[in-house]
Amino acid sequence: MLQLLKVEWMKVKHYRTFWVLSILYLISVFGVNYISYLFWDARPKNNDMSKAIIGTPFNFPDIWHVVSYTSSFLMFMLGLLIIISFTNEYSYKTHRQNIIDGWSRKEFILVKIALTVVVALVATLAVFITALLFGLYENGSSFTFEKIEFIGYFFIQAVSYCSAALLFSLLFKRSGITIGVYFLYTLILENMLAGFLNRYADNIGRYLPLESTDNLIRVPVFKVIINQLTASYNTTTLLIMSVIYLALYYFISFRKFQTDDL
Amino acid sequence: MVLTLHGITKFYGRIQALDNVSFSVPSGSVFGILGPNGSGKTTMLGIVMDILKPTSGTFDFFGKPATSTQRKDIGTLLETPNFYHYLSGERNLAIAAEIKGKGREDIHTVLEKVNLSERRTSKFSTYSLGMKQRLAIASALLGNPGILIFDEPTNGLDPVGIAEIRELIKRLASEGKTIIMASHLLDEVEKVCTHVAILKRGKLLTSGPVDEILVNEDIVELSAGNLLLLEQVISTLPGYTALRKYNNCLHVLYPPGTADLPAINQHCFNNGVALSHLLLKKKSLEAKFFELTNN
Repeated sequence: MLQLLKVEWMKVKHYRTFWVLSILYLISVFGVNYISYLFWDARPKNNDMSKAIIGTPFNFPDIWHVVSYTSSFLMFMLGLLIIISFTNEYSYKTHRQNIIDGWSRKEFILVKIALTVVVALVATLAVFITALLFGLYENGSSFTFEKIEFIGYFFIQAVSYCSAALLFSLLFKRSGITIGVYFLYTLILENMLAGFLNRYADNIGRYLPLESTDNLIRVPVFKVIINQLTASYNTTTLLIMSVIYLALYYFISFRKFQTDDL
Repeated sequence: MVLTLHGITKFYGRIQALDNVSFSVPSGSVFGILGPNGSGKTTMLGIVMDILKPTSGTFDFFGKPATSTQRKDIGTLLETPNFYHYLSGERNLAIAAEIKGKGREDIHTVLEKVNLSERRTSKFSTYSLGMKQRLAIASALLGNPGILIFDEPTNGLDPVGIAEIRELIKRLASEGKTIIMASHLLDEVEKVCTHVAILKRGKLLTSGPVDEILVNEDIVELSAGNLLLLEQVISTLPGYTALRKYNNCLHVLYPPGTADLPAINQHCFNNGVALSHLLLKKKSLEAKFFELTNN
């Protein structure tokens, strides 16, 4: 596996697009949280009403939840990194060359799956550090690992988005169509379908592939109001669904790459 | 036998690219796969390299079902050079060497062999077609493999490059390597191959040693007022391999380079036949190829 990852590293190491997007992503993780911090900081202070509704999102332990939630709006960027790394192989036909040079098809797809995990891990680390920084900066906030599970949920969500991107790349092969379909699906189409199913089919929309991982990290503020408006979520069920979908992405990706003409 | 195909058939949807193709590549041979464009050469090599799945049929290397590990010791150039455009030639070769499990010390040597050392640090995207082809050949040579598979190896090369690659292939063959080479260029196959398989529309027409299949011959075309007498006189000539009537002429076939026109003329004159027509035709390989590939 290490040898496989070494080759993947050699491919990515000098690929400027990948690094420009990665660095901008990391800056954006900080940026999107800073924006939400500015919003929160502009609240009417010494107002009991706002305190009751919003709480103290930038203090430990809520910070773990808030930063995970806010950062998850950038999930599609992680998918994009996977898509460019995979569709590149198709457009340069280097996936063929790797097989010709002596990788098995299984090894090729395995290392791409490993890449989804690595990308998700790095993003999770960035979110962890961002949350830590904001939490420590905020007055009257004392460090705690309480609610750290949200960082774990972020990781699961990130792996899911990356793996879905992997599957989309395998299905569509060309970067343009893959990016278009992936963005529209993750940002609009699945949410539309989820909304429809939630309304007319007893809330089952929340168990759609990416929706299940989205719902692991729910809106961190206005909880009182939101809990009254939406059906309750069962985190365990959502976790099980997420794992089932992940297994499915990997299974289909494996099957497709093993049996296709490349 | 290095490689044996057993009844390989391949359909792309409803299009049949290969129809029950079977043959064997003997060890140490330079094996040419000859066929017009679209005859299934690349499809066949793609199947052998596991990037295409056959609809039916099997193949094996050294009598064993093929594995990815075996591919590490086969140098292959298939159809087009496939490299990472944003990486230099050298870095692309480093990736290939890493996958093959060969050391990087070979990279310098193979780049020298294809005259690409000067441009080794330039990005692949800046290479000309010929340079890309050279890099692909260099990549195939990594780790000094015993078997080489070249699909149209001289594609995109200038005449000097073509000559160099032919020399390289001959040199590799003389080192005892088995070389499998697909080409639509007959003289290329004739100049470097010991064995040949001819494909047409996915069907294997014939396969075997080159000198049996692509027999080249001199044809002497001659004519006289009395064809019957001419035929009698000619039949007493020594050294020819065949005699055929062809329209108002006779065709006398000789092994390449042995037809002696003045001697034939003299012989006929001595036997009372004055020739009205005497011409030496080199039977081109092209003609042979058309003969083989036409129904």
